[in-house]
Amino acid sequence: MNGPGTNGAAERAPEGWRDLSRFIPWLLGFCVLLVLPWLAVNPYQNYLLNVILINVILAVGLNIVKGFAGQVTVGHIALAAIGAYTSAILSVKFGLPFWLALPAATLVTGLAGALVGIPAFRLEGAYLALATLGLAESVRIFISATDYVGASIGFSDIPPPMLAGKPLGSHIAYYYVVMPVALVGIYLSFCILRSDIGRAFKALREDSLAAAAAGINVRKYKLLAFVISAFYAGCAGSLTAHMSPGFLNPNSYTITEMVTLLLMVVLGGIGHIWGGVIGAVLVTIINDLTVDFYQYRLAIFGMIIVLTVLYMPRGIGGVIDRHFATKRFIALRKAKASVNA
Amino acid sequence: MLEVTNLSKRFGGLVAVANVDLSVRQGEIRGIIGPNGSGKSTLFNLISSVYKPEPGSRIAFDGEDITGRPPHDIARRGIARTFQLLRIFTQMSVLENLLIGHHSHVRYGVGAAVVGAARVWAEERRLKQEMMDLLGFVGLADYAEMAAGELSIGQRRLLALGRAMAMRPKLLMLDEPAAGLSPVNVDKLLNTVMALQKRFGLTLVIIEHILKVVMESCDTVTVLDHGEKIAEGPPAAIKDDHRVIEAYLGKEMADAEVRAFLKAS
Repeated sequence: MNGPGTNGAAERAPEGWRDLSRFIPWLLGFCVLLVLPWLAVNPYQNYLLNVILINVILAVGLNIVKGFAGQVTVGHIALAAIGAYTSAILSVKFGLPFWLALPAATLVTGLAGALVGIPAFRLEGAYLALATLGLAESVRIFISATDYVGASIGFSDIPPPMLAGKPLGSHIAYYYVVMPVALVGIYLSFCILRSDIGRAFKALREDSLAAAAAGINVRKYKLLAFVISAFYAGCAGSLTAHMSPGFLNPNSYTITEMVTLLLMVVLGGIGHIWGGVIGAVLVTIINDLTVDFYQYRLAIFGMIIVLTVLYMPRGIGGVIDRHFATKRFIALRKAKASVNA
Repeated sequence: MLEVTNLSKRFGGLVAVANVDLSVRQGEIRGIIGPNGSGKSTLFNLISSVYKPEPGSRIAFDGEDITGRPPHDIARRGIARTFQLLRIFTQMSVLENLLIGHHSHVRYGVGAAVVGAARVWAEERRLKQEMMDLLGFVGLADYAEMAAGELSIGQRRLLALGRAMAMRPKLLMLDEPAAGLSPVNVDKLLNTVMALQKRFGLTLVIIEHILKVVMESCDTVTVLDHGEKIAEGPPAAIKDDHRVIEAYLGKEMADAEVRAFLKAS
């Protein structure tokens, strides 16, 4: 066999290659996404594409706290509102460029996420949902009653990002701001959730007592889940604020929007990263197609959530996973049978 | 190594554990027995800080006072435990269950994990390899990728043991590790526990109802009844202790009858 020296070198080479090769699918995805907006037939579809990507960021973030860490929060939409309004205030009232307002808003929302997470130390399940719902509604009502941010009339004239002195006001230009952010967001969530942190989140979801006995600091990881998901919400919020026409209204952050967000995660697959992405894409498109029936939207979405939970508890992502797991199992069986024969 | 003094716990009017003193030496195998509801599991829950003891209780480990420290801190200090109802993570894979146990020994921080640094991936590979070795030791290597919920009860008990071992503990507390197993599997589990104990120089505290386990493997046995310690000593002496027999079989049986009963069984 190999000597120790050659063996070590042989092992190191494929490892380095493996580290690099895990970027290849991401690069391919990036290339596909680069040309995507040119396939859109009208500016409205470009706008829709941006909305889809922003919703993907929101859903991926919500999936971290709800899907992986199992914390039932309905406050995510309020975090998006905080991100959006912070970014708007920073750029309009303080003249900060978009490129600084975005990270600042993300950070501020992260802090707000920590506040939303504190009730989770003691509350679980439906009680936590109620507490976070209370927080979310108070944020929305506070915004609609504060003249400084335009109250219920809305916050307008939020500038688009500037690049080399030119505003990225068109939807197609803005796409090239949103798309990399969304892609990086998905990639980072992969890194987080495939690491020990993701495992700790899953352990919390299943049995926080057993997790604590295994040395997991339950409070730290609950808070971490809330803060990370708040970063996503803040980033998505800021991106909404600066998208043309640069207008924010507290009514886009109601319980209806929260249910829509939950639907993305539930339909896509709780605790399934790609599921959350698929869910966000599908629900945004459904949302757009059913715009004429918007007064029935809550009923439709509620029904889809109930049906999904009843017949597809792990969502679309879960169904896909199961399909591949079954295929692998059958292949394994066949291989074993052929060995025996 | 473990020094418990004057430990008490009340649930409302019920005294679950009353003024228990317990001292476990390094490398010792300690058995804890007692009738149902005598406070054995509560004792474990107090030591691992699932419950808060009454004021005046003191738990020290390695010379440090750990009374009332949070559970994850107790685990980090090297006290691992299993649960009577196992509490394995049924939706996670067998390997992931062990990796959770190894959580305290992961050598990268949140920041590195978030950006997916190369050393995180290298460390993950190392962790997986180490946990696979441990899985091989408890005899579950073939099931590594399987969801823990799909295991049989005997395999689940081995997994619970493996998860506790993944914590690299100094003190391992097993709460009825062999409950509900067939005699063959009891032997298998016991052999695994003893092999692990020897290999890692563990200190063991075992709650067990199967007397064979206690009599054959423990150095010292502590007997609890109604939350109080009623006897302590080597297994042979405990077997003949009057109060112990009384606690298990009741007062009505005369001593001679008890002796006859024990001889017959």
